[in-house]
Amino acid sequence: MAQHFLEQAKADDFVAHLMKRHPVLAPHRRGRRSFAFEQIVEPSAVVLDYPRTLGSVKKFFLPARETLLEFDLGTNTATAPAIAPAPAVYLGVHSYDLAAVRRLDHNFLHGNPERNYVTRREGALFIGVSYTPDRHHFAGSVGIDPYDTTGSDIFLTKHPEGWIVDVLTPAGQDLLKGFKLATDARPKPKREHFTQHIYVPQARLNEIMAASYNHPVWDEASRNCTGCGTCNLVCPTCYCFDVQDQVAITVDAGHRERTWDGCMLRSFTEVAGGEVFRHKVAARQRHRVHRKFKYLSDATGQPWCVGCGRCTAYCTAGISIVEIVNRLVRDAEREEQVTA
Amino acid sequence: MANKPREASKPKVAIFDFTGCEGCELSQLNFEDQLLDILAQVDIVEWREAMDDRADEYDIAFVEGALSTPDCIKRIHDIRRRSKVLVALGSCAVDGGVNAIKNLHPIEEVRQIVYGEDQYLFPTLPALPLSAVVKVDHNVRGCPMTQIEFLKVFTALVMGKKPIEPDQAVCVECKLNENECVYAKGMICLGPVTRAGCNSQCTNFGQYCIGCRGLVSEPNLQGMAETLASHGLAMDEAWKRLQLYNAYRLQGVRA
Repeated sequence: MAQHFLEQAKADDFVAHLMKRHPVLAPHRRGRRSFAFEQIVEPSAVVLDYPRTLGSVKKFFLPARETLLEFDLGTNTATAPAIAPAPAVYLGVHSYDLAAVRRLDHNFLHGNPERNYVTRREGALFIGVSYTPDRHHFAGSVGIDPYDTTGSDIFLTKHPEGWIVDVLTPAGQDLLKGFKLATDARPKPKREHFTQHIYVPQARLNEIMAASYNHPVWDEASRNCTGCGTCNLVCPTCYCFDVQDQVAITVDAGHRERTWDGCMLRSFTEVAGGEVFRHKVAARQRHRVHRKFKYLSDATGQPWCVGCGRCTAYCTAGISIVEIVNRLVRDAEREEQVTA
Repeated sequence: MANKPREASKPKVAIFDFTGCEGCELSQLNFEDQLLDILAQVDIVEWREAMDDRADEYDIAFVEGALSTPDCIKRIHDIRRRSKVLVALGSCAVDGGVNAIKNLHPIEEVRQIVYGEDQYLFPTLPALPLSAVVKVDHNVRGCPMTQIEFLKVFTALVMGKKPIEPDQAVCVECKLNENECVYAKGMICLGPVTRAGCNSQCTNFGQYCIGCRGLVSEPNLQGMAETLASHGLAMDEAWKRLQLYNAYRLQGVRA
């Protein structure tokens, strides 16, 4: 569809225009050097040129903590809180996070659609934005380009003087109604490249992962891993959760709460009777990487990792998923050369 | 429905203290918004810090402080004998707490430093968590004890259910709250091996975790120490940070 240009000086006006239509959620500064998606109150607080946010937009569709039921112990009744579709504009989403939303859609829409996720997901409009890969991004290796517009209604490409605006859907067109953008076509700037790579395609990786179960990398990479679960909790495609009932101090009512969980956590692998079925952190690490590059890929043909680099960037022990995978690739290829 | 009293048979609750700062008990007195609801559910029959009454038997005993004298050992056995359920309250009672740092030094030296020439009037032992001497049914961790955890344990016990003991790192709650990682700010943090349940209240306010809620089960301590070292601490300093609240648990651990 149409291409326009948004000058940097008009960026705040553009955000203000969007806010007139819907609530707008976009990256803001959080802490000293981090970013997080928040609902915009002040257009000038939005940061469109950022490396990555702490969490992805996942949190708006699958909240970190969510009440599934409210119950009354006196009358022995329960009600599910009403969830209505709340149309909103997600502004400044990177292509890998949109790819992650598509994967979550697969998880929550197939089989029994998950009502809460599906309802929250309805009416979401996405304005994607290009980014400059940093030392942790490797989305290119899983087939997601920084300029990939898939899933976006409008896509903004960074330009020295502002943003090239690609309008991709009728909904995107509709969002721009009443806002005047420059119509001069500008050449797209030189593409930025990744510095982190996984060197084989997913089809090959499936074979390599299949033979990796007893590889020493799991122990070696997990030497300093405390199993804190950060890699799971910052992952835009992790969707495991735990459910617990919380009773009020008055002991007459309470609520059932769903919370994000993760396969790196010991408590996640503990089942009824106290048995822990993945005792070693290395076994959990292996499971996590298999979830991203093998188990779900076998079923769908796609890696369930989108190359955002969060798990590596936020790991205090410096464990790198790219290094783990490349070590497996290297050893598999060396072995093939020897046996050939 | 609020404050509806359970007239029939309200559980009898007692609160005791051993070696500690009484901060956990103070935290209980600070339940200003919930105190009436708490009192509607139970009868507090013995609590030295707040009242004069005594009782012979308790349905639930909340016990604060570490055990550090021969008299402590006698008293805790006596309390255990008279309690149906015993809950350790706070870092000292659960893990020995900061008291156990003295265990790192010869006991004679410790007595000399603390009591000087009167040391023979004050028999002392290496500091012990309650669980080293008697069976502890449930824990409320933290320094002082985490109030939200106390309320959860209390509610579960009043309902006759087993409280859920969190066994995951503070990092989990910190990530659910989408905080910037303390390490990203150039500080160090014990969150990765410290037991959650506090809703990461220190890191929510930009502080780092000093580990007051004790360790998760099966912690990777060597890995944690090396992570601390790779973020700028000397190895000795790294272990000392871990020892602050975990000196008892770490006895004999360091390679």
